[in-house]
Amino acid sequence: MVRRVLALPTGRLAVGVLSVIALLAILGPTLAPHNPLGTSALTLTGPSWKHWLGTDYLGRDVFSRLLAGSRTSVLGSVEVALIALAVGVVPGILSVYLGRGFEWFTLRIADTLLALPFLIYAVAVTALLGNGIPQAMFTVGVLVSPLFYRVTRAATLAVARSQYVEAALISGASIGWIARRHVWGKVLPPVAVALAQTIGVGFVVVSSLSFLGIGVQPPAPTWGGLLASDLGYLSYQPWAPIVPALLIMATVWGSNLLADAIRDVSGEAGRALLNSRRARARRLNPAEPIPAGGAAR
Amino acid sequence: MTRTLPDGTVTAAVPAARPADPPALDPPAAQAAALAVRDVRIRDDVNDREIVHGVSFELRPGRAVGIVGESGSGKTLTCRAILGILPAHFAVSGGSIEIVGRDIAELTTPQWTDLRGSTISAVFQDPASYLNPSIKVGAQIAEVIGVKTGLRRRAARRRALELLTAVHLRDPELVYDQYTFELSGGMLQRILIATAIAADPQVLIADEATTALDVTVQAEILDLLADLRERRGLALVVVSHDLAVVAQVCDEVLVMREGEVVEHGSTADVLYHPRHEYTRLLIAEHEQYGLDRYLAGEQRKELDSVH
Amino acid sequence: MSTDGRPVLEVADLEVHYGLRRRRRRVLHGVSLSVSRGETVGVIGETGSGKSTFARAVLGLVRASGGRILIDGEDVSRYSSRQWRALRRRGVVQYVFQDPLRSLDPDLPVEESLIEPLLVQGVGRKEAIERGRGYLARVRLDSELFGRLPGELSGGQRQRVAVARALITEPALIILDEPVSALDSANRVGILEILKELRDAGVALIFISHDLGSVAGVADRVAVLYQGEFVEVGATHAVINTPQHPYARLLVGSAPTLRSAAASRAERDALRALLHA
Repeated sequence: MVRRVLALPTGRLAVGVLSVIALLAILGPTLAPHNPLGTSALTLTGPSWKHWLGTDYLGRDVFSRLLAGSRTSVLGSVEVALIALAVGVVPGILSVYLGRGFEWFTLRIADTLLALPFLIYAVAVTALLGNGIPQAMFTVGVLVSPLFYRVTRAATLAVARSQYVEAALISGASIGWIARRHVWGKVLPPVAVALAQTIGVGFVVVSSLSFLGIGVQPPAPTWGGLLASDLGYLSYQPWAPIVPALLIMATVWGSNLLADAIRDVSGEAGRALLNSRRARARRLNPAEPIPAGGAAR
Repeated sequence: MTRTLPDGTVTAAVPAARPADPPALDPPAAQAAALAVRDVRIRDDVNDREIVHGVSFELRPGRAVGIVGESGSGKTLTCRAILGILPAHFAVSGGSIEIVGRDIAELTTPQWTDLRGSTISAVFQDPASYLNPSIKVGAQIAEVIGVKTGLRRRAARRRALELLTAVHLRDPELVYDQYTFELSGGMLQRILIATAIAADPQVLIADEATTALDVTVQAEILDLLADLRERRGLALVVVSHDLAVVAQVCDEVLVMREGEVVEHGSTADVLYHPRHEYTRLLIAEHEQYGLDRYLAGEQRKELDSVH
Repeated sequence: MSTDGRPVLEVADLEVHYGLRRRRRRVLHGVSLSVSRGETVGVIGETGSGKSTFARAVLGLVRASGGRILIDGEDVSRYSSRQWRALRRRGVVQYVFQDPLRSLDPDLPVEESLIEPLLVQGVGRKEAIERGRGYLARVRLDSELFGRLPGELSGGQRQRVAVARALITEPALIILDEPVSALDSANRVGILEILKELRDAGVALIFISHDLGSVAGVADRVAVLYQGEFVEVGATHAVINTPQHPYARLLVGSAPTLRSAAASRAERDALRALLHA
């Protein structure tokens, strides 16, 4: 599947954008040319050789703060996605196999979680468990887990009712055998789509929370926090919020693009898409012969 | 049951049992053909291959032509080309199709919309997928009537009920207010046929329209098609993978294989004097594995001596 | 025909109901049938006649509410799900679905689907693949196809894989649900020939179809199922040439034939009226 995603231009673009962001998260804090917390007398200056993106209201180097803040932001969104995955997928599969009672119970829990406004809940939970990104992200992760529950359940249901599963049953296969052999491969692509999408959602949430000053102690930099402080000095530096905003947008856009690319290449729709591309290429460039093999029906 | 007689005396009247040639209808227009397909070729742009290598036939009002072939033989693509609904990346690359004298290559989209339903119409294999499950079937027929003939609601309803009666549904009033899930496959296919003939088309294409149905229901639908043909002078294109189905309804048969017409002739000719090996295979299959093996044993001996 | 030997399958007075309490309705009523080694029996019925339910009951996928089912002399009607699983693993009864595209996992190479029953039995992978190749040859398929996905095979090739899969456990009985209706002529004849070979090798076959014509060439006996009951059971030629029950007569009269005259429309209408009365 990875190869097929990379075969799409949008897939390559998404992976490219996300790799740069991931590199920032890993290396950002060490690459920062200045101390992201170090204040100076030079407040609210424009870009210069010393301060590529200028300084903020306390005279801190904005570029260094962006680099240092990337790790918190990215780790937070990944945490949201992973927690949602862990909490949602297993009950999603089991809801199909463990009988009516379990199904009803998990469905109602999923409905309940969906009904809760997660941003407000995250705020409430940080008040209870302490103001930290992990606590807030844990809450958000649990609250968006119904997405994974639903997606997994839908995919599993489709498989469970298929004839090849019945054929396996007739051969004497156990539920575990069927899950390992037939269900897993079908559930993975939609879960991957949901995962990429949730990373995007998580990013917006981390940025929103840190914009509100929740989850991060004040001097520590985050992209959302930068955006918030820049907005306070809009009249002095109207261009300042552009950079953190662009970074946030690029990451979310990259995640959604990746989700689209995964969806496009998996299953029947993926084959149809590749076919129509081939047909278009053929029309644009009729001189170039195209191998006939693998024609989809 | 006449043909259960073992001595074959009754079944000897074979040609008579085929649909008799319809009374010679005077051609309405000078060209006479309701549908003329001339050397139609269809190409797949994905791998740049020609899928259909030249299909030709002419269909006059009140006549029926059958196309037989296995899946992938190009019979469905040919039908779709006639209806102007080829799937993406397929295109007619040669030949011409004329519907009541109009070359379809020159039709604009509004002209197509005008033509479909009122001049040429079609029914396909899986009737349930062509109806909206959340709307009563009667309303769906009435909608087609409203769009195609401009009748108002009351009149459209009355017309829909007439059509449901015409396709031999037992209780049209009841069926009108039912949903697709309350109806059997055979009844749904009748409803689709009723919808297809709502605007009094001259040509009806039935593409594997009875394939998914039970044998007894298939016989009823084939009876219905023969009936419509006789009474309304409808010209039929019957497409099937089963030679016997086509032989039952049509006067003329095309046998297609891998995009090529391997045999084309009157039904009797094709059945009794098959020229191509593939046609012989189709016939042999029925003789060895079908009911023909048991029925009319006498007759078969006669035929074998003919070969 | 080699119909001697003890029956592989004996069904006596089988009753199956679906639904609970008020919604409870009878799907099969007083169905009895016995099938011996080397015998092919056609079960003919229309949609909703209960023919699939019959197969599913024999496979233990639906529970009988009355009557007995004996497989190889063993009464399985009161089996627990664990006993069923053990029985199925032995592979005595196998099943071939109508549409191989749906009964083979689209994401697994055909090899994997083919040897699955052996793997479930606990046979080692290497040996299973070895044996799989043998069965592929028996249904006249090239073992080159082993690594392909079902979507890359033709309909006929897929159905051959499905038949090979059913053969791989050396079953005594194979139930085939419309195994040739999705196939074109050449492949249909190919599959029917394989089935004949199996019958000659002593395997019992139940051939389920809505079309009398499609089983006429292979079945020794035919059982006509109508509204959950066998209305006519007899030798194939007898059912075709002298059907007694109105539904059986309608069935014979509706089957499309090439050269012999089908029953006239009037006759069919009369039979239908008789059935609905």
